[in-house]
Amino acid sequence: MSKKVTPWLDNLLQEIEGVEIRRKDSRRVRIDIAADSLPTLLELLRGRAGYVHLSAITCVDWIDDGQFELVYQLWSYESQSLVSAHIRIAREPGVYVSVFDLYQPAAFFERDIHEMFGVYFEGSPDMSKFILTEWNGPPPMRKEFDAEAWVNETFEWKDYQPDWLKEITEQGGGIVKTPEEARQKKP
Amino acid sequence: MKEIDNPIEAPVDQSRTNPLARVFDELVRFCRSRSMFMLHYCTGCGAIELPPAMTSRFDMERLGIQPMVTPRQADILLITGYVSIKTLKRVILTYEQMGSPKYVIGICSCTVNGGMYWQSYATAKQLDQYLPVDLYIAGCMPRPEAVLEGMRKLMDRIRSGEADGWKDYYRRYDWYLGNQQHLFGDDWQTPADVIGEASHYDLAEPGTEGEHTRLLQQCQKPLEPQQTFFQIGGSLEKKGESHE
Repeated sequence: MSKKVTPWLDNLLQEIEGVEIRRKDSRRVRIDIAADSLPTLLELLRGRAGYVHLSAITCVDWIDDGQFELVYQLWSYESQSLVSAHIRIAREPGVYVSVFDLYQPAAFFERDIHEMFGVYFEGSPDMSKFILTEWNGPPPMRKEFDAEAWVNETFEWKDYQPDWLKEITEQGGGIVKTPEEARQKKP
Repeated sequence: MKEIDNPIEAPVDQSRTNPLARVFDELVRFCRSRSMFMLHYCTGCGAIELPPAMTSRFDMERLGIQPMVTPRQADILLITGYVSIKTLKRVILTYEQMGSPKYVIGICSCTVNGGMYWQSYATAKQLDQYLPVDLYIAGCMPRPEAVLEGMRKLMDRIRSGEADGWKDYYRRYDWYLGNQQHLFGDDWQTPADVIGEASHYDLAEPGTEGEHTRLLQQCQKPLEPQQTFFQIGGSLEKKGESHE
């Protein structure tokens, strides 16, 4: 089979409505699709085009649009090509359907996205905590989560002018630029 | 090695009135400083500097420093790199299992103030708020020379009796526990009985117990004896239960 994404993929994708196809490269295709049609697309790609490997599901938070973007990366060993299927779902309530029945590795990706972004996947086998088992705060990868404010609230910073350093500073040594000065934003 | 072989003035403990009480002290401290068994809890990238420090070019073992496999056998806990809150729980658990006297070394700037992860919600910033750190080796990352220099500094401090962070942990356990509870929640507990150990070493001071230890005692569950399971007729049952 040729290493280029063959025209039959185009023919196949014409069976689904509302699909926008962009060829990024000879071996990369980006497909933007309505959220409702994604399971159909994945079923077609897996069953008839040989995209049997779900490399990753990633999530992007578009807070100004009030949407989450979910990206499904699919790899075909036969045509050596990557398809990334992009969908947008509403940020509130942030619920989507699981693709675990098509691709079993999706369970881990969905569990991860659930704890990092708070997106709930209906039909996923396990939505319990995965990596952030000790975390009780809001989903930390959401754009509205201010990590710096949380850090300032939770942790204390080390004193950078302790007494033992003052002698060294008088002699011309010590810390030239304190972290407080370095952190101040430029106007 | 010259400065190490110089005699070091030890602080005199006035409470020991027996003239023979300090006869072996200097020998004991010398032996302690020359057999530093490290347990390196390799949390981050700083652990990469330890293999070159141990192998032929720098060869830590000629100074009596060598890695050890379990916390019970180790003297020094090396925290090499960023400590996430999740890891910090395990680090404290490991530290409390070590036998006294025990020393903590924080390597890399991450243990000092979060390092390049200062903005991360998951990284504990100052290690010395949760564990008594005897020595920091700053740098991102410190070279093996710096690690060895730090180790020799700790040798000096052990030999002169200044490295008493483990005593500080018993004396101000309430403060350390309070910081730990601030991160882990009020139901945080470890299997170790630190207050009991503090009174065993005769180090229980007003700072040992306080509001945080009272909070701990309210929610502390006693350790359950290990349950033995064995197979009877295909079903898994607890030992000691009547089988009818």
